Amino acid sequence: MSVEVSTSRPPAEPVLYGLLAEFDDPAALARAAAAVRQKGYTRWDAHSPFPVHGLDEAMGARRTRLPLIALIAGLCGLIGGLKLAWYTNASDLAFMPSFLRGYPFMISGKPVFSLPANIPVVFETTVLLAALGTVLGMLGLNRLPRLHHPLFASERFARATTDRFFIVIEARDPRFDRRAAAEFLRSLGAAAVEEVAEGPP
Amino acid sequence: MAVRPASMSPSLPDNTGEIPGQRAPLVLGGLDYAGLTDRVCSIPEQPTAPPAWWATLALAAAGLAGFLCLIGYLVSTGIGVWGNNQPVAWAFDITNFVFWIGIGHAGTLISAILFLFRQNWRTSINRFAEAMTIFAVMCAGIFPAIHVGRPWLAYWMAPYPNQMGMWPNFRSPLLWDVFAVSTYALVSLMFWYVGMIPDLATLRDRARTRMRRILYGLFALGWTGSAAHWRRFECAYLLLAGLATPLVLSVHSVVSFDFATSQLPGWHTTIFPPYFVAGAVFGGFAMVLTLVIPARTFFGLQEVITLRHIENMNKVLLATGCIVGYAYGVELFIAWYSGSGFERFAFANRMGGPMAWAYWIMVGCNVVAPQLLWSKFCRTNLWVTLFVAMCVNVGMWFERFVIIVSSLSRDFVPSSWGGFSPTWVDFGMLAGSFGLFFTLFMLFVRYLPIVAMAEIKHVMPAGHAGDAGRAG
Amino acid sequence: MTHQPHNTQPGQDRHTLPFPVSPAIPAVAGGFLVAAVFLLSRGSADGMRRFWLAYVQAFAFVLSLSLGALFFVLIQHLTRAGWSVVVRRPAEILAANFGVLIVAFLPIAGTVAGGSGLLYRWARPLHVTQEAHARGSPLLPAARAAEPTEPPRAGGSAAQADGHDHDAHGGLDELTLKKRPWLNGPFFLARWAAYLAIWAVCGWFLLARSTEQDASGDPRLTLRLQYPSGAMTLLFGLTVTFAAFDLLMSLDAHWFSTIFGVYYFAGSVVGFLAVLILGLMLLQRLGLLRASVTVEHYHDLGKLLFAFVFFWGYIAFSQYMLIWYGNLPEETAWFARRGASTAEPNAWSAVALVLLLGHFVLPFAGLLSRHAKRSRAMLGGWAAWLLAMHWLDLYWLVMPEAPAAAWPPALAEIGCSAGLIGLFIAGLLRLASGRSLLAARDPRLPESLAFHNP
Repeated sequence: MSVEVSTSRPPAEPVLYGLLAEFDDPAALARAAAAVRQKGYTRWDAHSPFPVHGLDEAMGARRTRLPLIALIAGLCGLIGGLKLAWYTNASDLAFMPSFLRGYPFMISGKPVFSLPANIPVVFETTVLLAALGTVLGMLGLNRLPRLHHPLFASERFARATTDRFFIVIEARDPRFDRRAAAEFLRSLGAAAVEEVAEGPP
Repeated sequence: MAVRPASMSPSLPDNTGEIPGQRAPLVLGGLDYAGLTDRVCSIPEQPTAPPAWWATLALAAAGLAGFLCLIGYLVSTGIGVWGNNQPVAWAFDITNFVFWIGIGHAGTLISAILFLFRQNWRTSINRFAEAMTIFAVMCAGIFPAIHVGRPWLAYWMAPYPNQMGMWPNFRSPLLWDVFAVSTYALVSLMFWYVGMIPDLATLRDRARTRMRRILYGLFALGWTGSAAHWRRFECAYLLLAGLATPLVLSVHSVVSFDFATSQLPGWHTTIFPPYFVAGAVFGGFAMVLTLVIPARTFFGLQEVITLRHIENMNKVLLATGCIVGYAYGVELFIAWYSGSGFERFAFANRMGGPMAWAYWIMVGCNVVAPQLLWSKFCRTNLWVTLFVAMCVNVGMWFERFVIIVSSLSRDFVPSSWGGFSPTWVDFGMLAGSFGLFFTLFMLFVRYLPIVAMAEIKHVMPAGHAGDAGRAG
Repeated sequence: MTHQPHNTQPGQDRHTLPFPVSPAIPAVAGGFLVAAVFLLSRGSADGMRRFWLAYVQAFAFVLSLSLGALFFVLIQHLTRAGWSVVVRRPAEILAANFGVLIVAFLPIAGTVAGGSGLLYRWARPLHVTQEAHARGSPLLPAARAAEPTEPPRAGGSAAQADGHDHDAHGGLDELTLKKRPWLNGPFFLARWAAYLAIWAVCGWFLLARSTEQDASGDPRLTLRLQYPSGAMTLLFGLTVTFAAFDLLMSLDAHWFSTIFGVYYFAGSVVGFLAVLILGLMLLQRLGLLRASVTVEHYHDLGKLLFAFVFFWGYIAFSQYMLIWYGNLPEETAWFARRGASTAEPNAWSAVALVLLLGHFVLPFAGLLSRHAKRSRAMLGGWAAWLLAMHWLDLYWLVMPEAPAAAWPPALAEIGCSAGLIGLFIAGLLRLASGRSLLAARDPRLPESLAFHNP
């Protein structure tokens, strides 16, 4: 399977994915996004080469849950790190099989469970799990990685990662109407509007 | 074609001054989004690399090959091929480890801490510095792994259930090191990679060959620049910065604990954690400057990595150099003030003993040389900057060498004193680790976006919708 | 909490104190309080010792607020900060408050010069006896591996708790004598004259040049403030370190810790940020700076407070863990006296635990979220809490040196702290009256007014 489709020619019976409108600059994108939202569309998105300041407000976006995910992952790391240090160095549970049993061993005069000496490791496991939670949470919430996206079929869209700004209204939006939506996007000052087909089935 | 001799660059205005109330531009030469993208992407998109790149890579790869041979020699023969012996059981190996791990810290400082401080100028150099972090941590990790003598058993350091019924000792600073360094390597890698996803997508969308499209496409993870994605991406980036900041503090603190938890005079001192962190950032910034100054000229990036960036880095170098000087001074004062004969002797020995030459190289390179940077002329002169940065690179290696070897060679009982003389393998491995570092670095500058394009676009003046009047 | 600043016209904003306030009232009340507890403590040597320790603690507390402010202002100039312009003038006033601090230092100077040794044992004149040598010092190098001496317990007899740096005859022990070149009255006074002079000049310079700009609006003044701030920060770092060694660490002349100056500095910045946040809230309640200081500035100050809470925790942990781990008697005795030991807890152990939780764990968790830093009630609450914790931190550093368990705080501690805080407020009022509390013509003011967090 190819990573993306570079052909600009849609298949014979194309299923419409949505309408792609191109804008010249971030300010125009933010204005247009506010208008699209005003109009009542729900299945739409903006695309830009960098996070456009003020776009979230214009799109009426809610804050992401990512900090919560990171916090929970971090707490797991905190508790897990403490448990690890305690279990392996300070516990001696007779019912455990020998290869899983803790090994309390007095060394350098420190108590078998020494909180000051365990803090560095506990800190590291906290940070590690919080960071993993952040990255995996971000990718998961964003539904990434994905190998293909219908928009990759548009040659125009290739500049979405360089210097062009786009709004896509998807065909599955309940208010979507091919002609009216195109007209509406043009009225917002779009430099170009094109139809994008769903990718190969 | 990206590689332009410096003379072909348009003469750039001096952006190092600033009129209060107006902010100097971060990027010069009137670059717009497309121009910036072209400038940065043209480096990995060159069909053939310039001969200078090949020459440098060949040199670095030869060093790497030598390094691998020496590692093979060491592993098959034993660590007796080094000059280490009782009482100096740690020498070049741990010096190199602390040196390289310290180099990495500037990358995290630039990418995370300056980000939290909203220092937008960091965007031009953070990718560079983050890559340096990762390669430096790779170099660092090798030394503790091979110095255990039987590196094929290094996995014993991990807490895994085993038939010996044994676990690592969590009260040992050496185990803290294992956790700190591996966490640091992983988090730095994630930070670097996550930040690079949008730029990899740019390279994917510009790719003209199938191979490039597939490779960059795979690593870009299907990024489309969707606003919903950017929102979570920015949040993740902020969270990673917030996590990396205390992490970077902890990593070199844990490295300092390796020494400071002991009772050895010259090692057991409470200022070690912040002093090591400051020293690491100091040494790391010197390395960033050492790499960035030739690279910006070579790749024609003077408009993106401007003189102002160099000057700002010099200011950080001066500030951290002063902190390091402060720590030397306080250590010295307290050694005297403690009234303990052993503490006083340890420092008298450093300054006047058989290794005094190393101590004074350290002071000269780390404390005296950076004082040049009080002058604006020196901060904005590339040759002076390179000179100071090279001094600091040398000085920071010697700092760790002085701490480790001088304290170990002469501790409490004179009958157990001893010396240290390095073997050719010691020197070879030090040089070889640079081979590894530069091999990775040359591959990075050739195939990956070395400047964080999306981040620069974000802080370019036109990048703000809705509040055009806002000062950036 | 709108995304637009409430008002971008500072001209419509009130920024001078609305009523004439006389600094004389808090100054006289403060002076009276200190004098009263001094007289009440005169009865016994133990009482006087406790008074002087309480006085040093109170002085270290008010001093730390001005030192934290000095650091903050210097860093703003050094980094050409734009966001902080609207909150800089109150910080400058705090940083310039060394007039009253010099006055407050005079009693300490007096007792050191007097040579009574009630405050600093090392300040007594030299008459070390042969017996001091004969008894031997536990810290002669050869005895370094010796068994740790029984840590004195708070609540024990005065001689037991207090006898760690001098012998029964009042002479100085050998270890303290080794430090005599540093720890002696005249040199101590000379050093403090230098510290106070440096801080006072820096604080005055920063406030005076900045106020000058209110009248002229000259952007070159911004540069004149920026240029010397690098050297001033360097001087600041050195003076604060040695001041902390002299003022606090030398209360126990045996103990030493290289990080101690950083520890005092970290607590100082926490205390200052708490005062700045609370002060701005108070000024806004009085109707000042209402349009200029927005939730965005509180958010940033909250982030700094959070960062320095973490930094303090990091420094405190580094100091404690390394000494705990090394387990050398000459270092652990100091922590043992402060109850920071699970093996030998004493009356101070509870205070140490409160500090661990209240100065680090709880505020760290409490200030973690964006919401907490942007909520006036929560940020103000944590600022007040941390200010109290900073005071308690200094209490825990100083008061375990007192002859008997000095917990909970009694008349001497409360009187000294309240008195010096009164004096400190008097100094602030004197500097603030008639002066604009906003750097109204700073060239970066528009940036600060328009600032909002991403």
